[in-house]
Amino acid sequence: MIEKGIKISGLSPARLEAGGALKDALEKFDWFYIGEEFCENLLPAPAELKRTAAFFLEKGRKVCVLTPPVSERGIKNLKSAFRLLSRLDPDAVELTVNDFGALELARECGLRVKINAGRLLYGNLFMVRRSTLRLINPQALRFFTSRGINRFELSATGERPRTDFGGAGSGELNLTLYYPYLNMTTTRTCLLGVPDIPPHESAAGINCRRECAVASFEVKHPLIKESLLVRGNTVFMRFPRKFYSSEKSLEAMRVNRLVYCPFP
Amino acid sequence: MKIVSCFSRLSEIAPLAEAGADELYCAAADLPAFGQGALRGGLRAAAKRAHGLGKKLSLAVNSMKLTYSKRQMLEFYGRLGRAAEAGVDAFIVASPSVFTLLEELGKPPPAPIHLSSVQPCFNSRAARYFIRLGITRIVLPNQVSALESKEIFKECRAAGVKTEIFDYRFFGCVYVNGRCSLHDPIFHTFTSGKEGGELCRCGAGPGGTLRVKAETVATGRAAEASALAGRLYARMTCGGPPRLANAASFFDFFSMGADFLKYGTRRDPAAVKISKVRELRAMLDLAEGLAGSLPRPAARSAFIARMTSWRGLK
Repeated sequence: MIEKGIKISGLSPARLEAGGALKDALEKFDWFYIGEEFCENLLPAPAELKRTAAFFLEKGRKVCVLTPPVSERGIKNLKSAFRLLSRLDPDAVELTVNDFGALELARECGLRVKINAGRLLYGNLFMVRRSTLRLINPQALRFFTSRGINRFELSATGERPRTDFGGAGSGELNLTLYYPYLNMTTTRTCLLGVPDIPPHESAAGINCRRECAVASFEVKHPLIKESLLVRGNTVFMRFPRKFYSSEKSLEAMRVNRLVYCPFP
Repeated sequence: MKIVSCFSRLSEIAPLAEAGADELYCAAADLPAFGQGALRGGLRAAAKRAHGLGKKLSLAVNSMKLTYSKRQMLEFYGRLGRAAEAGVDAFIVASPSVFTLLEELGKPPPAPIHLSSVQPCFNSRAARYFIRLGITRIVLPNQVSALESKEIFKECRAAGVKTEIFDYRFFGCVYVNGRCSLHDPIFHTFTSGKEGGELCRCGAGPGGTLRVKAETVATGRAAEASALAGRLYARMTCGGPPRLANAASFFDFFSMGADFLKYGTRRDPAAVKISKVRELRAMLDLAEGLAGSLPRPAARSAFIARMTSWRGLK
């Protein structure tokens, strides 16, 4: 059985409701992905994160809290968020980390929720191409499984990849596949938001005015055939084509959860 | 602060040392490293030359793509051991699988391990995480600023772990190292003649045919979207996103006591490598001279002024 999730990031239930999407989302999806994967400035305030999580848990849905790469400022915010999340039902909440510092912090805070390795960490254990997905070596997987992590998040590439997991057991390796946007690269200094830093200024952090909320952008680069999509600090590609024939074929490649992203 | 320089030929070792390198590093063909430019010549000979000049030698084994079977991982460990026997003083590592390999073998690393910037450390907890795994040095990514690194430095100092930064002038990938799929065309396809290029480094060029179009614009924000499209166009045609590393950031790292300053473009020709190491030495001498003769704020201002007008050594 494939679980189905939707990534709503920082959107609150009230905003989903106002946009007329809440009812539909609650009907279609088992998992709600809240928080932020790529930019620490977009991480919702801890209290808001807890409120959003509690809302979906009350509706009988499960929640995965996404966390981005973090600087010291982000560590401080995550610490408060983890404290609040630790009061939620650990059987219905998961945490996705995209920074080993967040993993360390979760351990320090004694967080009991299940932890997943996010889309910025997959390179630590997979070699991913459009049409192949390969575990790089057995130790790479054990690095994570020995720390209780057995769910790994990837983006769909629009093709069903040939897989090679080197004989890893199904309990050790579960994949979550995000679609239709694949994150190509991320920068801390946002392409849209951060002003240029003059030579006499030593940046104390990444400061922006949340310009990413204004729009995402399609970029046609003269050197490549595909279009790029830029949202905030991350460059994406879009692969809208359905690449699997049945749930069975997904399960064969260890994908047992799909996460729909309405926006990049 | 000491200077670490890359090299890729034995003949570069002596001139780089003379130019001001305190330590040297290279990559070897049989141990996968991030980027291009493996050593031409044996490691043993390189170590002998470096040690003969009183310089330590590190080896970059910082590829994330150690695509090996169980047996090949053991062979990989064997190659690390042979490299250490040949005189390598430290390994620069990015893949976490190396730590698990050592743990499972129940053996210490054949030589101390430096955490590569390809496994980026942005905060003190990430530093703590890898320090617990046994690293002795962290090479900081250039996407973390000096002021953001204070807690990382505290963590390192408490554990006796050294810190290393890149020279802001000669290392400028603006995307997060080790998390970037623009380096290799694995998802995108180059138009003819550009295969093998690195999209993150090749700006489309001003006046080029790059097209930027806003989509999913938030209600009532079309004018802002248009201005942002202009900013994005400018950044994607000339140089990319802003850089955190600059003269001020370098001086702050210097004042915080960063241990090593790195230059690491292995594929640069020998003459370029030597000239860049001279530039590192000149910048470091300038910082040391000013810090030794002026109060810190004045030294910082003078350093920034001098580096802002820096146009390279004559």
